[in-house]
Amino acid sequence: MTASVSPPPLSEAGPSLPSEARGGLFTPASAVYVEPARRLTLNGWATIAVFLPPALILFTVFVALPMVEAGWYGFFNWDGYGRPEKFIGLKNYGYLIGNATFARSLINNALIIIVSLLVQLPLALALALMVAGRIPGAAWFRMIFFLPYVLADVAAGLIWHFMFDGDYGVAGAITGALGMQPYFLLADKTWAFSAVLIVIIWKYFGFHMMLYVAGLQGIDRSLLEAAEMDGASAWQRFWHITLPLLGPMIRLSIFFSVVGALQLFDIIVPLTGGGPFETTNTMVSFLYYFGITRMRVGFGSAVGVVLFFICVTFAFGYRRIFMRDD
Amino acid sequence: MTDATADSFEVLGRRPRGPASFLIFAALLVVAGAVLYPVLATALNGVKDLSEIRTNPLGLPRVWMWSNYWGILTGYRYWQVLGNSLFIALFTVFLTLAVASMAAFTFAHLRFFGDKFLLNYLQLGLLFPVATAILPLFIKIRDLGLLDSYWGVILPQVAFSIAMAVLLLRTAFRQLPSELLDSAMMDGCGYFRYFFYITLPLSGPILSTVGIIAFVGSWNGYLLPLVVFNSESRYPWTLGLMAFQGQYMTAWQLVLAFITLTILPAILMFLLAQRWIVAGLTAGAVKS
Amino acid sequence: MKFRQLAFLAACVTALSAPAYAETHITVLHVSENAAQKAVWNKIADDYNAAHPGVKVEFKYLENEAFKAKLPTMLQSDDSRPELFYSWGGGVMQAQDKAGFLKDITKDVAPWESELAPTAVDAFKVDGKTVGVPFEVGEVVFYYNKKLFEKAGVKAEDIKTWDDFLGAVKKLKAAGITPIVVGAGEKWPMHFYYAYLVMRIGGEHALADAKAGKDGGFKSAAFVEAGKRLRELAELNPFQPGYLTTSHAQSAGIFGDGKAAMDLMGQWLIGMQGPNSTTGKGLAESDIGILSFPVVPGGKGKATDTLGGINGWLVSKSAPPEAVDFLKFFSQAKYAEEAAATAAYIPVVKGSESAFTDPLFKRLASDLAKTTYHQNYFDQDLGPSVGRVINDASVAVAAGEMTPEAAAASIQQAAEQQ
Repeated sequence: MTASVSPPPLSEAGPSLPSEARGGLFTPASAVYVEPARRLTLNGWATIAVFLPPALILFTVFVALPMVEAGWYGFFNWDGYGRPEKFIGLKNYGYLIGNATFARSLINNALIIIVSLLVQLPLALALALMVAGRIPGAAWFRMIFFLPYVLADVAAGLIWHFMFDGDYGVAGAITGALGMQPYFLLADKTWAFSAVLIVIIWKYFGFHMMLYVAGLQGIDRSLLEAAEMDGASAWQRFWHITLPLLGPMIRLSIFFSVVGALQLFDIIVPLTGGGPFETTNTMVSFLYYFGITRMRVGFGSAVGVVLFFICVTFAFGYRRIFMRDD
Repeated sequence: MTDATADSFEVLGRRPRGPASFLIFAALLVVAGAVLYPVLATALNGVKDLSEIRTNPLGLPRVWMWSNYWGILTGYRYWQVLGNSLFIALFTVFLTLAVASMAAFTFAHLRFFGDKFLLNYLQLGLLFPVATAILPLFIKIRDLGLLDSYWGVILPQVAFSIAMAVLLLRTAFRQLPSELLDSAMMDGCGYFRYFFYITLPLSGPILSTVGIIAFVGSWNGYLLPLVVFNSESRYPWTLGLMAFQGQYMTAWQLVLAFITLTILPAILMFLLAQRWIVAGLTAGAVKS
Repeated sequence: MKFRQLAFLAACVTALSAPAYAETHITVLHVSENAAQKAVWNKIADDYNAAHPGVKVEFKYLENEAFKAKLPTMLQSDDSRPELFYSWGGGVMQAQDKAGFLKDITKDVAPWESELAPTAVDAFKVDGKTVGVPFEVGEVVFYYNKKLFEKAGVKAEDIKTWDDFLGAVKKLKAAGITPIVVGAGEKWPMHFYYAYLVMRIGGEHALADAKAGKDGGFKSAAFVEAGKRLRELAELNPFQPGYLTTSHAQSAGIFGDGKAAMDLMGQWLIGMQGPNSTTGKGLAESDIGILSFPVVPGGKGKATDTLGGINGWLVSKSAPPEAVDFLKFFSQAKYAEEAAATAAYIPVVKGSESAFTDPLFKRLASDLAKTTYHQNYFDQDLGPSVGRVINDASVAVAAGEMTPEAAAASIQQAAEQQ
């Protein structure tokens, strides 16, 4: 998509529009980053030497090294006390194969990804568009939508437990009004996971909405106004200008969504505890319940490693195909 | 909010006309209501008696026990744990933004041997479940002598936030026009000055977003402070909750009241961050 | 400042800091929020500190789950390791010992350990060596609502066998009363039924034999039969609606509200049913009766075999000798009698059961004093991994999700993967 006019250079024209005051971000041409043909100067090397080490050192010491050690535990039968001693090679991985609960967890994780991509993200995008527009109280709406993300899991799990309670919750109110027997959704083997999905959408859509709002806030208004003056409809403006410029942020949000879905754990514990009959576990809650709380830390680590490789495969595949230029 | 600030918030063209505007607002209200209801229920349950929570968890309280909230607010513990949480969270945010923006800048604009490798390396931090690494992490913290100290929590939290923060910031930095950097370099501006005087000021929205995410992550952190802190005087509010749990019963009404009170600082941070960034956007216009 | 003032100041500072150097600090880490229990403990600590200048004993509280999550890391670090800490015995204790975190105190306690109930003392031995000192025992019994029993025409004294029990359940159901409340959402309350059935059917060696792998280990006849009996009970639909999601606290509240006739539970129910009920007061103690778990006809177990917790203090490997000395002080009869008098807990010191005034506790204490075989909770005894599987299996069998044979096999599989 090309524009017929490129924005005025910074040194000319006073700030007649706020977007120009900001320096006119997001020209259409810069929807794709143009790689500079610069050779690395001394200044460049100095920057690298000063700017990079803090992040790398912190990350290596507190994240990378513990991760490697944790992965190493996967080869042991260890209860978490003292040092790992019983080396059992790949046996932990063997226990995983054919473990019906783990298979169920994989399916659950896949369900979360599907629902996130098909329901949660579009919802977040729609809301972001609405609250980035000129609606009275937009900032308040943004805050309300973000609130579930802020609420501590222990409270969220408890309240939703009440919501789904067959006697006193929302479900109870419905069955009471219809004169039916109380129905306990969280005790239903087939449908309990749908309760989990509802809570996940509720909790995380605000996070993605915030990402999209940040992206939208960087879009040059003059582009949209120019298009409107040229006679483009709202839908055309959205489809041809807004959406492409939001592209990098959307692709990143999908990335976080999938990775986050694979790592989901915090909401499962207070809401269902993995039940009923282990039908609502995710891989990480499986790891927590069957590994850590049962003092089979080695087994838990093995699950972590399997999850890691699934994530790595996705991450690198996704970035190669979809985020090549970002 | 004044129109000037509204200007910078609302970016999608002219105010939608008549019925469209009304429909949008109505839709937003409905969604907001559905989203808010569980949070409101949390707050309301904090005003109830414990027994009422079991039989009337989602309705208005029959008896309004304001003493629940008042008791917490007038107690020393609430302010102590809140202060601890705030200290930890603010330092986590500050360090995360500083460290991650520097690294993201480097990855955004500089090509050097191994840069793709290092970026992928940092990404790995998103892909491994934290729960498994808590034991080796504890040993690292212990060996560095950071047990029972705030830094024992702050530094690892910053480390965990780096992956997401660098990815978000790098994407945003690359969306600033590359001509800006070229012309700046031709004018003799080095990378350092460009970073401080151009990149950072222009990246308000993304910095505030990353800051909020880092804040919330730290604010609700439980497992890491649990294994690091031994002194009760350093407990953040998530550990302070333990005081309400008992053998015979957990005082859920106090737990929920307490949690409601701890959301308030997070909300405050959210509003402040949004406003502060907006002020930064409209004040000091950047001229070359 | 003048030299003399400076010297005086220095002397003061030295004098003030001197005791800090000589002081031995003993942290006793626990999970109790029982006010009466903590009152007794604080008294013991105060008395000990007063009698032993230079030693400071301090009780420190962590919430139950936080305690379990944090203990492995605490034991790893010299600074944070508590000298004494709370334990449920069983598999976790064995793991802690194997990792070398516990102190062998066999010789230290030998002179006075005979004052404590022998089953309890044995529960804190690993491979024959003593690693801790018990202080509390418990018993799991049926607590029943006397008024509801009357209403249905059920007489507690007539319930002796399993068939009597099932008959009572049917009578209660016919009278429109929920026979049993169980907090199966947390799973472990259901394993009480399974454990007692194994004990009544297989006798006192059933568990030990299964652990040793005899007769197919946990797939042995006793375990399969126990599953069948549990399923038999569950098929009568005796539990409250939604029992699979009811939490333990909720179940206590339901009992306290008088909405169910029986609850198979540990001694903490007595204190718990009040605060968790809708009124906050629950049932009056005079309205609560105790019924021992029935015997199973043809089973090897006796009516006097008891299931219940054994709790005590473990000594960490770096603890000073004063820590064990404190345990001896702690275990004196006078404090046990005070605990009994205030119904804080059921102490293991022999003879203390006479000090109980509360009739319910008195009954429990005398059961325990007369016990023919006392078994620690299965899910503690077997350790966290197999223990959780037993909990899962109990609920699965009751709900008809698993056959008794499959359940027993799953327990055996978990034991083999240990």
